[in-house]
Amino acid sequence: MDGEIVTLVAVWTIATLRSATPLIFVTLGETLTQRTGVINLGVEGQMLTGAAVGFGVGAATGNPWAGFLAGATAGTALSLVHAALVLGARANQIGAGLAVWMIALGGTSYFARPLVGGQVTPLPNLGSDLTDGIPFFGPLLDQMTLTAPLAIGAVFLVGWWLAATRPGLAWRAVGESGEIAAQNGIRPVFVRLQAIMAGGFLSGLGGAVLSIDYTQTWAQEMTKGRGLIAVGLVIVARWQPRLVLPVCLLFGFAEVAALRFQSVGFEGSSFLLATAPYLAVLIVLVIGHWVARSRSAMPADLRALFA
Amino acid sequence: MKSLAAPLLTAVATTIAFVLVAIAFFAFLGKPPFEMIGSLATFAFGDAYSRSETLAKTTPILLCALAAAIPGRLGLISVGAEGQLHAGAITGTAVVLAAPDLPMAIMLPGILIAAAAGGAFYGWIPGVLRARLDVNETITTLVLNYITVLLVGALVFGPWRDPGSQGWPATISFPDAATLPALANSRIHLGFAIGLVLAVACHFFFIVGRGAQQVRILAGNRKVGEMFGLSFGFWVMVLMAAGGAAAGIAGIGEVSAIQGRLQQNISLGYGLTGFLVAWLSRHQPLVIVPVSLLVGGLVAGSDALQLFAKVPVASAVILQGLLFALALAVPGLLARFSTRST
Repeated sequence: MDGEIVTLVAVWTIATLRSATPLIFVTLGETLTQRTGVINLGVEGQMLTGAAVGFGVGAATGNPWAGFLAGATAGTALSLVHAALVLGARANQIGAGLAVWMIALGGTSYFARPLVGGQVTPLPNLGSDLTDGIPFFGPLLDQMTLTAPLAIGAVFLVGWWLAATRPGLAWRAVGESGEIAAQNGIRPVFVRLQAIMAGGFLSGLGGAVLSIDYTQTWAQEMTKGRGLIAVGLVIVARWQPRLVLPVCLLFGFAEVAALRFQSVGFEGSSFLLATAPYLAVLIVLVIGHWVARSRSAMPADLRALFA
Repeated sequence: MKSLAAPLLTAVATTIAFVLVAIAFFAFLGKPPFEMIGSLATFAFGDAYSRSETLAKTTPILLCALAAAIPGRLGLISVGAEGQLHAGAITGTAVVLAAPDLPMAIMLPGILIAAAAGGAFYGWIPGVLRARLDVNETITTLVLNYITVLLVGALVFGPWRDPGSQGWPATISFPDAATLPALANSRIHLGFAIGLVLAVACHFFFIVGRGAQQVRILAGNRKVGEMFGLSFGFWVMVLMAAGGAAAGIAGIGEVSAIQGRLQQNISLGYGLTGFLVAWLSRHQPLVIVPVSLLVGGLVAGSDALQLFAKVPVASAVILQGLLFALALAVPGLLARFSTRST
């Protein structure tokens, strides 16, 4: 009996982790971008493009890692459109992000149609004969691929890099005040360009992980607002990389709960349950604002955009 | 004169840039560009049928553009029209399902008011969150969009499905009394007239009277406005709800006049398209009318292009995205260019 409960917990844990993994990459990327004072709603489009290109390359080469790389590259390339609009033409950041999203929305449904019904070689799971008998970790590793540990590693790497390195300090300085950073020999435009590209890389990678590793299919508009949710989660995580992990796991848990309960209930209830992740994000967003009404962790240059 | 010259130059430069980009886009797709742009224009405005289709697409775009522009006057960036459109479709349909035998004189106002109220409520939610807790309205409206779209799915697959529809997920067909009247032999329905009246009403609301002044002051500088005792939160909620009402009417228009029943996919991304139109028009209601007509023509024309030239309709979304990007880029580039030359 106890063993069954342990297995059940393991199954839910890994399902939550698998659902959260693509989002961790995307939210981490958007956190980096926003820490330099730039908001990019185009992450939804970058993620979608990463999912399409990654799936296409993964299916064509039979190599999921080639797909991840291609997806990340595509996300980076698309983020350059945002960078050109925001840094080059000094356009409104919200508008520029939405334009990037629209281009990607149309572009993927136009060019990625042949990918529908395609197949990719999935990543091998981490379980083996050695781990099979171990309670909790056995069933956990049977479902886990390398992407989840990579995502968790990325969270700690980015957190350390931002907090403890000189370039990380420069990025944070630019986010607090581009002007003062410039007076201290940092080039804000260059830093923001790097940050937008880093966000593009991670959101494209997150998209590719979604299509190659999580759903293992391509479908039109398959990201379903995950990129936009990531932008919300950055706020919930108070722009702290280390908090990206728990907030993304919360989203993953809401999605898994919705999927698990789908089999019960009335016809059409699957649609109702599918609202759970969106509601979860809204609720934590509201609670987060409620709690942090007095003190704000928002980078000062970013606050100007929200005011 | 000088104040008029700058927007005009921007508009002309943006249009030229867009035509050039559209030519490049069709060339990239391997289609003859000039022929494509020619047929796009013909399919959009060429004959009575295409004009009817264009106005049918213009209607929800116009109403959704107002949904973005009304809060936009306060400096809010609401991208929630898609969700509000679906909310209005749900509440409007609820009236028909609750009392299908009402006479037209009660039914039509009833479904329109219910739809406007549904949209208004769904716009008010992000409004109150912004007003009370300072939650960014752009992100909440974007996330809220997905919820009502899913709710429509839950209803038409579940309790609202017409048992006589043989498995197709849709409600019963709307009775004649609940069908918005349309011009003879066309799909130009009452919703278009409502959109025009709303645009004119908004125009006057935002130029005359005390409300216009309050919104202008608060949009210019919230702190100064609040020093004068104006309530930012009040106007956030009012304008978000008013915008939502416009989008709600767009929703019931699609259900009643175009589809004839509630089902999935009632909107072809009208919320986002409307947002684009509002942005291009700089939130000016009277500019929104012609711009939504042009963008409606683009949407309707590319619909026909898909049938006759085998160009997937997604090309319209790409073109809209490119248009948006150019509209954002051109003013900044012009400003850079002019400061450099003087």
